[in-house]
Amino acid sequence: MSKIDFSKFHYGNVADHIEELEDIVGKENVMTGMHDRAIRAASCAPFPMQRWEDHIPDVVVLPGDTDEVSEVMKLANKYRLPVVPRGAGCGLADGAFPLNKGICLDMKRMAEILEVDDINRTVTVQPGVNMQELNKVLAKVGMYYPDDPASYGTAVIGGRIGTNGWSVAGAGSGHPANLVCSMEVVLPDGQIVRVGKGGSKKCRNSSAGYRMLELFFGHQGTLGVVTEAVLDCAPKPEVEFPSYFGFSSYDAAYKALFQLGISGIKSVVNYIMFDDEKIDFLRRDDDAFIPLPETVKCVVMATFAGTEGEVLAARKKSLSIMKAAGGHYLGEEQAWGDWATRHDRYHLAVHCRNKAGQVVTMSWHCEDNCMIHSELPEFTHGLHKIVKKYVEKYDGIFDDAGCFIYTGGPYRTWGDYLAEVDVFINELAMTPELWERWLDMKREIAELAVELGGSISICHGACREGDIDVLIDKELADGQFDLMKRIKKMFDPNNIMNPGKYNLHLAY
Amino acid sequence: MEILSYKDFYEEPVKKDAPVSEELTKDCYNVFACRHKFCREWCPDYVEERNESYTSYGVHTSTLALACGNASLPEMKNEFIHCLECGQCELKCPNTMFGGDFYHYATTTVDLVRKMRRDLHAQGIDYDGFDEVQQVIDEHLAHDAGPDEELTSWAAGLDLPLAGETMMFVDYYNAFQTREVPIAAAKILKAAGVEFGILKHPHVTTGELYETDEDKWVEAAKKNVADLKAAGAKTVILVNPHEYSYFIKEYPRYCGTLPFEVVYITDYVNDLIKADKIAFVKPYNKNVTYHDPCSLNKLCGNYQAPREIIAALPGTHADVEKPILQWKYCCGNGVSGAFRKALPDVAYKIGVRRLRHANDVGAEVLLLACPHCKDMFAETKTKSGINIEPVHILEVVAYCMGIEV
Repeated sequence: MSKIDFSKFHYGNVADHIEELEDIVGKENVMTGMHDRAIRAASCAPFPMQRWEDHIPDVVVLPGDTDEVSEVMKLANKYRLPVVPRGAGCGLADGAFPLNKGICLDMKRMAEILEVDDINRTVTVQPGVNMQELNKVLAKVGMYYPDDPASYGTAVIGGRIGTNGWSVAGAGSGHPANLVCSMEVVLPDGQIVRVGKGGSKKCRNSSAGYRMLELFFGHQGTLGVVTEAVLDCAPKPEVEFPSYFGFSSYDAAYKALFQLGISGIKSVVNYIMFDDEKIDFLRRDDDAFIPLPETVKCVVMATFAGTEGEVLAARKKSLSIMKAAGGHYLGEEQAWGDWATRHDRYHLAVHCRNKAGQVVTMSWHCEDNCMIHSELPEFTHGLHKIVKKYVEKYDGIFDDAGCFIYTGGPYRTWGDYLAEVDVFINELAMTPELWERWLDMKREIAELAVELGGSISICHGACREGDIDVLIDKELADGQFDLMKRIKKMFDPNNIMNPGKYNLHLAY
Repeated sequence: MEILSYKDFYEEPVKKDAPVSEELTKDCYNVFACRHKFCREWCPDYVEERNESYTSYGVHTSTLALACGNASLPEMKNEFIHCLECGQCELKCPNTMFGGDFYHYATTTVDLVRKMRRDLHAQGIDYDGFDEVQQVIDEHLAHDAGPDEELTSWAAGLDLPLAGETMMFVDYYNAFQTREVPIAAAKILKAAGVEFGILKHPHVTTGELYETDEDKWVEAAKKNVADLKAAGAKTVILVNPHEYSYFIKEYPRYCGTLPFEVVYITDYVNDLIKADKIAFVKPYNKNVTYHDPCSLNKLCGNYQAPREIIAALPGTHADVEKPILQWKYCCGNGVSGAFRKALPDVAYKIGVRRLRHANDVGAEVLLLACPHCKDMFAETKTKSGINIEPVHILEVVAYCMGIEV
């Protein structure tokens, strides 16, 4: 990919404004050391280590409140300094990955829980709050914030909003976009605005005006910085029941997933299918686990939560559906311990192999396509065909770690799914040539997703190299990208917010 | 306890203007590769400062950046001092949790931090506040060079022999700053009829020295092992969990398999209680909770005995959090005292947070099994005014036995 030419934006020199930044947030909250900046260059894999230097921000700033964020933005806007907001840095679309250096606005210091309202069931937080830590506080009053991504223990609220994150429990309790009532946003010119679903901070529904709140979901730091959010909380479920079912073929598991999806069970958390390649991947160190019968080729997981009566009924109904579909219940021991642990190993750097079966250190990456039910078999088989072509050609550089298929939409279990192929990549062995092949792989995957009527991304954002070309040329080709450019230019006339992300420099 | 990962390549120093070894680069990459950063929200320093530069991800990625030419060693002088060496991040790291057992390869942040502090010091690059740490080192080296009587003066009047099959090893911190701890230990053992001795001249074990002048520390370690062996030790009881972790994790690395068994005092006392060798004569009518010392719980996986002792104390009402939930806690001192010396404000905030947690469970007393925790919490209580008393568990055992300490 050719490097973006930013020269026409006439960006100022960040190094000339360090003292002003120190005046705003305090000297101790401005970091200029190369290592402090270097560790904030990457988000999740793959990271182009051969070009690490190009992505190191000029300075790291840790603001402590909304006014400080606003002052930093005013300064940046005045002198045309690029700003890249950074939450937990665990996003999978490189939202926090600077394309043109600038100020890294690390939001993790803003981590206060401002108000817990146990009558209206909301919690007001700053953007640096992590969900697991939040739930420890909410548990004291019987409340629960149900957003549950793979990064539950590390992601922060601001990042979940900026990337339009997706929750594993979304089929039951919604995704972040469904769970934020209102929020405070600092715009590129430093103006502080509140956007919400209704007139008040805590109101969840209103048809008054445009849906401005949604605009700030998934903007990847290109439109502003979230500084406060009011979240919708749920009651903590009384009981939870995860169950795993083994199937002898992909087809049988796929049909069972459909039957579960249309069963109408309301206490669902999610349904997940592990395809045959995923099972093979997780069998790599099978002797560390309770042996999985050889007849098991695919696995479907169903999790329910709610009151005891609801979950007991759901369990009975789901067992009967899965039995009729040819599923073999894998037992409670495996459900609670063994499979949970196996699942957690999916991203281990040492879990990868070359063709000779030797361990090769690689980093985990996952695609996050959205796919409609009817096309899932063709899509997942197509994904493996693409990935395996590169694994075959570049031994020890890439590895196919199989697919997960998750119920995709909020509050429903049918229609579309997150179909995720996990690809491992040997970042340490990356060369410019291999990086280009990686982008080719990504383009092929993105094209297949769009061709089959899906989306390039259900939850990460499609702003990485490889994805972005297909997004603009195909998925958002019918005027949507043009509209994005107009909005971007209106909000950010100097293109200081995360410049280059989503190719929005094309708006100017 | 099986030690999963000793990394010999940590012995090769990282130097200015010299490439970082391939092994160290890969080791740091393994943590960078994860990027899940499950270690972060549980790092006591991060919880207070919210600066990920100093998390396990931060120190490994900084070192990786150095290997890749994207960091400068002199600029990194304060990068490694923010680590308490508590070990939480090693346990929480998916590399350890999900791969450590199978691949025998774990994340070893504490070793990396100690190594980097050492390597930087060797090149004259010291963190801010190092002078105070050097003072502690000098003080302890002076003890080592001083007369035997000073080192055993804490035991005056206890009439302890200088040899025996069971030996109690008393470090300088306990011998000079928290004498009530070894005195309580000695009186409990004597009352239970245990015959034991102490070294005439224990040599320096200070963690600050270990991460500054490894050779000097190792020389003292070898002397301690040789002297304990010469004294006839078959069992060595430690009364400081920091030294306990050094004896079971570091000493074998430098001295080979130790010629004696190493036991922590709470395990020893717990066994005496179970064997009915300890008789409690009065109750301790308090609401208590217990703080797991990082070195015991996280570095050594030792947490059961203090809980069993507390359960056996007459009259005591206890509400003790699970050891895994305490991975997140530290008193603020750290396993090497360098953190507290260099970053007293952060150390204080960590201590306050822990005391508040103890207050939340309704305790009047926070029981401890570590002299450093006791000292740190006593200071934090005084400064903050949080109304909870930090007390060493041995003092309570002695109290219930009717022993004056």
